[in-house]
Amino acid sequence: MKLLTEHECADTSVTLCRSCDLVIRKRALPSSVRALCPRCHTPIYDAPYCSLNGMLALCLTAIIFFIPANLLPVLELHFLGSIRTTTISEGAMAVANQGYWVVAIAVLTSAVIAPGLLLLSVLSQILIIKYRLQVPFFRDILKRLLKYHGLLSQLTMLEIYMISIFVSVFQLTDYTDIYLGMGTFCFAMLFLVTLFLQREYHLEHMWSVLDD
Amino acid sequence: MTSPSEQPQRNQGKDLGLTLCPSCQQLMSHKATHCSRCGSTLAFRDYSSLQKSWALLITAAILLIPANIYPITIFTSQGQTRHDTIFTGITHLIDLNILPIAVILFTASILVPILKICGLTIYLLAISFRLPISKKRLMVGFHVIEWIGRWSMLDLFVISITAAVVNMGQLLDAKPGPAATAFALVILLTQIAAKVLDTRLLWDRLESQDDTNRNTESS
Repeated sequence: MKLLTEHECADTSVTLCRSCDLVIRKRALPSSVRALCPRCHTPIYDAPYCSLNGMLALCLTAIIFFIPANLLPVLELHFLGSIRTTTISEGAMAVANQGYWVVAIAVLTSAVIAPGLLLLSVLSQILIIKYRLQVPFFRDILKRLLKYHGLLSQLTMLEIYMISIFVSVFQLTDYTDIYLGMGTFCFAMLFLVTLFLQREYHLEHMWSVLDD
Repeated sequence: MTSPSEQPQRNQGKDLGLTLCPSCQQLMSHKATHCSRCGSTLAFRDYSSLQKSWALLITAAILLIPANIYPITIFTSQGQTRHDTIFTGITHLIDLNILPIAVILFTASILVPILKICGLTIYLLAISFRLPISKKRLMVGFHVIEWIGRWSMLDLFVISITAAVVNMGQLLDAKPGPAATAFALVILLTQIAAKVLDTRLLWDRLESQDDTNRNTESS
């Protein structure tokens, strides 16, 4: 490979690997193919395809499921005729009441706050790009939202909470009768829809919207 | 022996005076201080990240000890109270013949944190002391660590669900134990330690060493 001059890199056909700083020449990719860094195998970019309307639909569906998933009980315990239920935030509060507020904050952040903020952030990003991109005020908001998107999506741990529900069910079946509530169903749907939304969403594509 | 013309097989950004914006991946000149697209501060290389990462990792390694020694759940069943550490909790599950759950919990709450701390230690040692370890292998390990680290949260979620649903005094009761906070901090600190590290340092620092190794092998 010949050495590239600084002038040649001025166009957008070249990028750098963010973990090892290798210079990479961009090429057009077919959809659902991801370019990896040839030296350290970090994902670099993929085909910038995402349909705004598709994402909007997924995002609204997720928000609709988000509310019952957090308000309805995810687990019901029947023990000697008495019924105990718990929602996600009640679980966090129960731990906090014992004095373990670090754990409570971790649970609340990764299962309620971060997913909620992520969905709201994506929704407002889509709405701004669709209707209000020319207004400087909204461009500024979009910039801020995009900056924090990486952090929010890292804090979102719906899939792990999903598995945790099942682990708890199996652990407790030895002692009592356990039932999954309507909340579990809504939570599972929320998890699935968010999964598809995150597959559809491309941060780099969203940034490139700001360029033109 | 090697002439400078044949040594750089691949260009690195620093040779061309280019750098990548850490938050929006915009390509910038290394002289710029702020990204033109998102306005965040640019750092050509973050040398202090090595120190931060070491500090966080050592703290996490120390916290791993109370996390494993102290009980993480306090379970009462018909008047009898059990104090379970992470390890005895898992052996108890094996006794109850719930092997798949025991395997999941063992992976998430013992294997992953230890692997993470050992892996990150090796990684940081390789950068700090220029150990001759294959960079490609280190980087693959780093990506695995970054991805798998979140799964340790599983144990904390399970504790919060059981503590909320199982509270019936002497008959049946579950409470978190003192290890829970330590364990939560281990997860948090190791995640930040991996996040904070500027991985480009690995590829800068080991360059000369790795190349000489390759040359001596080939000759």
